[in-house]
Amino acid sequence: MSDYKIIFSGPVGAGKTTAIQSISDILPVTTDEQASDMTRKMKNGTTVAMDYGLIKLPGTERIHLYGTPGQERFDFMWEILTNGGIGLVLLINNQRPDPFGDLHFFLNAFQAFIKQGKVVIGVTQMDQADTPRIEDYHLQLENSGVKIPVFDIDARIKKDVSILLEALLYSLDPGLEE
Amino acid sequence: MSDPQVSPIRVAAIGMDQRQRNALVMLFGNHCRNRYILVEEDSSEICIIDLDLFGGERLWQEFRQRHPDRPLILASLKPRQVENGHTLFVKKPIPVIQLMSAIDQLSQILNNRAAEQKIEAAQNAETTPSEPQHPRHSVSPVTQKVASLMTEAQEKVFIGTSPDIDPDNQAQLAKIYYDPQHYLQGHVQQALNQATRYNKNVTIEGPWPAIDMIIAKQQIMVDAREKHLRPFCTVPDATREVELQFHEQHKSATGRREYSIYAFIWQLALWASRGRLPSGTNLTQPIYLRRWPNFSRLVVTPHALAIAALWTRQPRSLIDTAKSLGIPQRYVFAFYSAANAVQLAGETRRAVDTLLEPPAIKQAENRGLFSKLLSRLRG
Repeated sequence: MSDYKIIFSGPVGAGKTTAIQSISDILPVTTDEQASDMTRKMKNGTTVAMDYGLIKLPGTERIHLYGTPGQERFDFMWEILTNGGIGLVLLINNQRPDPFGDLHFFLNAFQAFIKQGKVVIGVTQMDQADTPRIEDYHLQLENSGVKIPVFDIDARIKKDVSILLEALLYSLDPGLEE
Repeated sequence: MSDPQVSPIRVAAIGMDQRQRNALVMLFGNHCRNRYILVEEDSSEICIIDLDLFGGERLWQEFRQRHPDRPLILASLKPRQVENGHTLFVKKPIPVIQLMSAIDQLSQILNNRAAEQKIEAAQNAETTPSEPQHPRHSVSPVTQKVASLMTEAQEKVFIGTSPDIDPDNQAQLAKIYYDPQHYLQGHVQQALNQATRYNKNVTIEGPWPAIDMIIAKQQIMVDAREKHLRPFCTVPDATREVELQFHEQHKSATGRREYSIYAFIWQLALWASRGRLPSGTNLTQPIYLRRWPNFSRLVVTPHALAIAALWTRQPRSLIDTAKSLGIPQRYVFAFYSAANAVQLAGETRRAVDTLLEPPAIKQAENRGLFSKLLSRLRG
């Protein structure tokens, strides 16, 4: 059996758990618990250790989907999760006070993925907060050295999450056949 | 697997809640192979305090009063100067290797202390046999690193069925161009330019259902469904009378269809082009793509993601793009027309882009896997 993984990361309330639920073939394992601090304001439950989902492919190959903990204090888990990953799906909540601050924090934390072009960005909650716009995110990314896909997504919608993953795959290999 | 003869280093997480403790248990158990174990403060050898927790500074001070000599790791997002041999600071985000290294470094202090105590004990009572002790982990350097796809019918509407052309054949070349100015696409683009310049909303009036452009929201509102609008987008008519009405206010959105300006023009361009190119486009000049289009909110034509991935890596000509990807030219032309209409794509003007032939597409190591995943996602 061959196992691969894709990482979902981003700040509290960005939709990591929901995005994994949207595309997983199994009922996702989630370690959400009620938040006991300021994150309660953002979200009723926040991910504790990690979320887990799975995509089963024909044959024996599987893609494991891991969601990193949303709270910064768990960030030492990120390195464990990301080691050997196919790529990173970074979700940014447009409703948070400083979405660009979040963007740069996470890009800095996942520099290795960025350098290899193994990252896509989904901006969530744009229906609630329409600024900053997608083009503003691209302006923020101009110094990263790579053109990263940035899409406005609703993490509840499978099609939205799927197209993010498709963009990740084509970023890695534009010659993929449909 | 951990060595059962080696007792794990006992680590306590001071002030952390159950969720943080769970994360540490996972880290120690799975990743660090039980080299460390999370315990309560009383039975710990080394402790960790997250200074970013509420009251983190106070926790630190109180801890030091209780245990003046116990090795401690302090973590924070903000760098701190800690001048103390048995207190180490690690900046968050903490690389696992750094956390392991810090624990091991402090563990060495414990080993040294134990050795000093043994020597002292031996010196004080040479005849008393000592209890056998399990060895500690040797503190060796830590080397372990730690949108939617189109249906066939939609494809005919948006892309058409034109065959590939020979760029050297003038008769064939003449068939692949269209003039956006003769279509609704051109009128809407023109209206956008003026509305942006005057920073005013605009209504585009003509034989089509009313089209309102709300410039501050970058939004279009239309009084009709797509099937009623499409005929005005696909048929050229250079003689149409078009009027642009500029105004501060706009009509209520109730009952009207809303689009982002960007997505609306993208769609009009696809309808107008039907797999053709804006007149004057050079087939052999490399094409740049400023950035990835926001595909989740656009009509995604076949192979659009592959073309975008290719052009964001390096400019390539339209002909070379179709050839490199092994796809019909009309897909490349359609994508270019839409991306060009929203000013994302254009012909390069730099001499350097035409000097070197673009490299062949490098196949990813996991292409087979990626293809399977792609098929699965498109279900």
